[in-house]
Amino acid sequence: MELNDRNLQTLTEYLQKTLSPDPAVRRPAEKFLESVEGNQNYPILLLTMLEKSQDEVIRVCAAVTFKNYIKRNWRVVEDEPNKISDPDRTAIKANIVNLMLSSPEQIQKQLSDAISIIGREDFPQKWPDLLTEMVTRFQSGDFYIINGILRTAHSLFKRYRHEFKSNELWSEIKLVLDTFAQPLTELFKATIDLCQTHATDINALKVLFSSLTLISKLFYSLNFQDLPEFFEDNMETWMTNFHNLLTLDNKLLQTDDEEEAGLLELLKSQICDNAALYAQKYDEEFQPYLPRFVTAIWNLLVTTGQEVKYDLLVSNAIQFLASVCERPHYKHLFEDQNVLTSICEKVIVPNMEFRSADEEAFEDNSEEYIIRDLEGSDIDTRRRAACDLVRGLCKFFEGPVTGIFSGYVSSMLTEYAKNPGVNWKHKDAAIYLVTSLASKAQTQKHGITQANELVNLSEFFVNHILVDLKSPNVNEFPVLKADAIKYVMTFRSQLPKEQLLEAVPLLVAHLQAESIVQHTYAAHALERLFTMRGANNTTLITSTEMAPFTEQLLNNLFKSLAIPGSSENEYIMKAIMRSFSLLQEAIVPYIPTLIGQLTHKLLLVSKNPSKPHFNHYLFESLCLSIRITCKANPDTVNSFEEALFPVFTEILQNDVQEFVPYVFQVMSLLLEIHTSSIPSSYMALFPHLLQPVLWERTGNIPPLVRLLQAYLEKGAAAIASTAADKIPGLLGVFQKLIASKANDHQGFYLLNSIVEHMPTDSITQYRKQIFILLFQRLQSSKTTKFVKSFLVFINLYCVKYGAIALQEIFDSIQPKMFGMVVEKIIIPEVQKVSGPVEKKICAVGITKILTECPAMMDTEYTKLWTPLLQSLIGLFELPEDDSIPDDEHFIDIEDTPGYQTAFSQLAFAGKKEHDPIGDAVSNPKILLAQSLHKLSTACPGRVPSMLSTSLPAEALQYLQGYLQAATVQLV
Amino acid sequence: MPTENLSDRRMSKFKNKGKEPTKMRDRRIAECVELRKAHKVEGIMKRRNISSVGDEEPLSPEYNTDNKQVISEAIQEIVANVNSDCSEKQRQGCQAARKLLSRERNPPLKEIVEAGLLTRFVEFLGRNDDPTLQFEAAWSLTNVASGTSWHTQQVVEHGAVPAFIALLASPMLNISEQAVWALGNIAGDGPSYRDALIDCGVIPALLARLTPDAPVGYLRNLTWTLSNLCRNKNPFPRFSAVQQMLPSIIQLLHHSDKSILSDACWAISYLTDGPNERIDVVIKTGVLPRLVELLGFEELAVVTPALRSIGNIVSGSDLQTQAAIDAGVLSALPLLMRHPKSSVQKEAAWAVSNIAAGPCQQIQQLITCGLLAPLVDLLRNGDFKTQREAVWAVTNYTSGGTVDQVVHLVKCGALEAILNLLQAKDAKTVLVILDAINNIFLAAEKLGEVDKLCLLVEEVGGLDRIEFLQNHENNAVYRAAQALIEKYFSEDGGDQCLATEATDSNFVFGASDVQKRFDF
Repeated sequence: MELNDRNLQTLTEYLQKTLSPDPAVRRPAEKFLESVEGNQNYPILLLTMLEKSQDEVIRVCAAVTFKNYIKRNWRVVEDEPNKISDPDRTAIKANIVNLMLSSPEQIQKQLSDAISIIGREDFPQKWPDLLTEMVTRFQSGDFYIINGILRTAHSLFKRYRHEFKSNELWSEIKLVLDTFAQPLTELFKATIDLCQTHATDINALKVLFSSLTLISKLFYSLNFQDLPEFFEDNMETWMTNFHNLLTLDNKLLQTDDEEEAGLLELLKSQICDNAALYAQKYDEEFQPYLPRFVTAIWNLLVTTGQEVKYDLLVSNAIQFLASVCERPHYKHLFEDQNVLTSICEKVIVPNMEFRSADEEAFEDNSEEYIIRDLEGSDIDTRRRAACDLVRGLCKFFEGPVTGIFSGYVSSMLTEYAKNPGVNWKHKDAAIYLVTSLASKAQTQKHGITQANELVNLSEFFVNHILVDLKSPNVNEFPVLKADAIKYVMTFRSQLPKEQLLEAVPLLVAHLQAESIVQHTYAAHALERLFTMRGANNTTLITSTEMAPFTEQLLNNLFKSLAIPGSSENEYIMKAIMRSFSLLQEAIVPYIPTLIGQLTHKLLLVSKNPSKPHFNHYLFESLCLSIRITCKANPDTVNSFEEALFPVFTEILQNDVQEFVPYVFQVMSLLLEIHTSSIPSSYMALFPHLLQPVLWERTGNIPPLVRLLQAYLEKGAAAIASTAADKIPGLLGVFQKLIASKANDHQGFYLLNSIVEHMPTDSITQYRKQIFILLFQRLQSSKTTKFVKSFLVFINLYCVKYGAIALQEIFDSIQPKMFGMVVEKIIIPEVQKVSGPVEKKICAVGITKILTECPAMMDTEYTKLWTPLLQSLIGLFELPEDDSIPDDEHFIDIEDTPGYQTAFSQLAFAGKKEHDPIGDAVSNPKILLAQSLHKLSTACPGRVPSMLSTSLPAEALQYLQGYLQAATVQLV
Repeated sequence: MPTENLSDRRMSKFKNKGKEPTKMRDRRIAECVELRKAHKVEGIMKRRNISSVGDEEPLSPEYNTDNKQVISEAIQEIVANVNSDCSEKQRQGCQAARKLLSRERNPPLKEIVEAGLLTRFVEFLGRNDDPTLQFEAAWSLTNVASGTSWHTQQVVEHGAVPAFIALLASPMLNISEQAVWALGNIAGDGPSYRDALIDCGVIPALLARLTPDAPVGYLRNLTWTLSNLCRNKNPFPRFSAVQQMLPSIIQLLHHSDKSILSDACWAISYLTDGPNERIDVVIKTGVLPRLVELLGFEELAVVTPALRSIGNIVSGSDLQTQAAIDAGVLSALPLLMRHPKSSVQKEAAWAVSNIAAGPCQQIQQLITCGLLAPLVDLLRNGDFKTQREAVWAVTNYTSGGTVDQVVHLVKCGALEAILNLLQAKDAKTVLVILDAINNIFLAAEKLGEVDKLCLLVEEVGGLDRIEFLQNHENNAVYRAAQALIEKYFSEDGGDQCLATEATDSNFVFGASDVQKRFDF
């Protein structure tokens, strides 16, 4: 591509077309540009256009296209062709800085981005003159140019803030410091001088203050990794000026905007960050300056208003104080009672006040308000920062701080009492203050777990919280009501049970409040109270204690779902689930109504599932209804099926992906309740469950395996008689699952159920294939998890079909196969089997191999007999071997699935552990003793001689113990 | 735990389950790029002699100027005098040069070199007939050699080395001492000049002057020069040289003079700052008990290099570390961890971090000797560099310690302290902490107490911080935080599938026909 007018013209036309809203025009143009971007001069043509085109739109478009081109192509990837020719690279680097600086702002930004992308690859080695070129421009005196340079430098250097230390990185920083630090310092000083010269020129000040902010950001990046010698030597200059800037106010720079932070705020925030960086990392060198900064920042806080635009500045400033006041050698800066008092009065209390912005959020954006207030995602809010400062101060001054605040709390409450309608915010602040002061440790599960002993939480509850909860008009002062509910929730572990019981019916009443925040908090508080544990690990609040309120509770919960804005409120649904779980059989009378409401809800949300948590708890609630009701009366399972199957069918037919795994779990639960044969409605569905498309979705696998297991348990005979042609498909599922390292255990679950429940004849023809598949997998990728499952399976097989059957089928696949498996797999690995049922299966299986398999006594396998016995004794007596070989160490990470496919397991659809051996063998050690005894009487003399020649003494001793316990002797 | 993708050697040696456990010890990384000011506490590489001779007048005012004109004229005069044949003038010129080179600020080293005076000065070193001249020339050359590498190079290339070595034997103590000093400056320049000196036989010549009757001032210089001969890596001084010097250095370690003790300790610290076989040579001299004793001294100048030496030794093999433990280092460390100087705290924490990287028996000794309480104090209240070392100690401890030992550490408050440090403005420190947290969780898994630990972490505000780190710009940090959250703080898990042959309605069951022998 030559650099000529015709090519410029062509490119201009295509660029124009890429802006077309019509895809038929736009797409081909984009394709064309992509097809020519590999040509030499293409980027130069773009740069020419963005510099010279008459059309403003084309210039910007060329700039964006250029930046994207650089982003895609600049990096040279090893073993891939270099996508930009070397002459083009050189030309770009030679011109881009100039071009950026002479371009209007929109284009400048794109080019600045492009420079930092190039810089990331080429700087410093392949772009040695970039820095000097930049530094030279500092002398231009043109702050438009200077800010362009500073922005570019910032995008080049900001990675120093998060990269790991390395010689390469530090060499680069050193180089940057050598060239850049001195000029930057000079520029800093000059800019500050200019601010004085132009103190009355608002336009000049704006430019100068953006420079200062950028310079401060660069300071942060350059000082992040370690304290550079240059900045240590020039600390006086920088810190004195930073300090002056913090205390500076200029009326001209104050903005009217309440939301957006102004230049002054941005600069001061950055300076607070810089001071915090030095205080944290370079304490020794920074010590002389620190007290000055504490005072300045403190004054700043006292004089800064409540507007949202100051939020970042204020929270940064408070965080600075919070981090300093915890350090022992700065304790003295805070310990004076007057200092503490004014920090409390002027910094903490004002920043805990409920602002109009909070009020708006409470009313109009309740979801966000709840997340921020309840779940603590309020890292940068003023309230959070103020709380952190309270906690910091309490480290050394808990007594005095509590004293000071108690004074404030009572005066605020007095104010409120004078005129609640006007002064309700005072009470809100008082409650917040008490909460922040009292809480020393907190978790979602338990609320506050450690409280400040100097605060009497119970008394405050009685005097100030209960009144609001008891107020007859639930819709009056919703913020204070929400505060009161939150207080109960927060301090639930600290309040005595009587007070909680007193609160419960009041909370139930608040479920009907119109305010979303308020009834959500009520639901959440009830849910939390119901999870609390009392003595003996039972729930603190019992079903009996709830009896008087049960009906009201269930009514109000479901009614609150009808309040506008709460139709899919996850807190309410979770409270429903928790109430069911607590009340147990007390809900049975209400189930006919409740199940109707739940299925109706399910039908509605399945049209467009949008709240995963809500949906999850909805299914949990369904499971609970089923379990609780059917526990009392298993026959009711049919009525649940009648109610649920129409919705389930719709979900499965419409393939509502989010819900399918849930439906399978609920169906498993229902099917497992059936005591007689499998209903025909289930059998009709059976072929569909084997469809490969269902198994492609990883979230379906665990619930589907479980459902198939339920089919096998209840309907193995029916499958064998009416659906024998589906058996290969069923085994196909097994085959697919064991091919995956992540799912092989699921494949074994299925296989175990097949072996356990299917009539022998129906699977005889497939047995050999099954083992061949297992051996193939063992051969190709043997992992610990697979081997553990494999061991359980072959022993289960042995228990079911006998040791001879096992030996014969192995040896029919390959001569001496049985011996190889015993020697290479069973003996060395059986110690790794985990789980009591799994261990029991292996113990019984191995006992059979030892005592019921003639080949073990009479062929060359005999040499394995004693080692196998020894490993069985090891399984009984030694701790489980949980070691994982080196090369498997990272398998878990590789196989960690992405979130989107996660399987959502329902806790209340849970399955009891199944023991296929059950009571047939209660003590496997006794079984071993008895079986050995039987074997020894069949061939007298041989067993004792094998034991005495090669079984280690320790193992022998254990064995003697078993024999004694079984009161048998070997002959 | 995602400790991959880390270039840092220290990290790559970090023990992980299934990796080689002996590779955890931290080595001081050689030839590191530094951004900081050269460290004030390190031993001094080169020194200029700026003392004045007895009753001599102070430098005349016209010499004490930065005026180029004046200096240039002064040097003209020196050149004229030095090049004259008159001994008196030579002495005069030499002395004037020495005074210029000895002034406190901006001595004109370069100007003197460029005036071509070095050839004459080196010549004067051989003038046994004129001790004063010898002395003045030696002094001048000493000070030139104390400059940058370029200055030292000028002195060496003018052939000063053999002349100085010969002067060591001078009967005039002040001349011999000046030679010792000059050779110290040359040795301190770097490994190549150091080895050149050794090749010229400097060691026996120096050791010959190490006599009981040598004055303290002389011995100070001698010790310092010996320490410079032990100094620097890439390469290290050869073993034979080290073996030659060690007995004398050990002897000096028992001297009563603080300055001698300090430099002798620095020498030991250089010799131990290397691979294990270097450390072995030092340990075999039996010096450990004395080093431990020196840890208890008041003088920072002694404690610092002694602690550095101990730190180096415990970064060696398990056996070497055990030798230090047996010599009593663990009873000295708690005091040092509470030393008023943060630089000492930091070095002590570094030593602890390396001991914590050892087998669980050594970790047990940390517990028994009461090092956990001061360690947790450092995590809470140390300065940042100290906290960083203390964090390493926790991570090493938790990856090598037994479950009981980990539990004990958590009970001492270490978990809460490291969780607080997740706010540190240093990506590596944060990552190392996340690793420690992961280790603690692994221990909790073994005890079946993961839920309890989750609550504890949450209670002290750690969960918030870990969640916050999921927004960290550094990929390794954010992945590690995310892994912890996913593994321990979220209820969801999942699975993954591989492909198998299938029709629309069924999977095809059956093994492929390819028959091969199974052999596991």
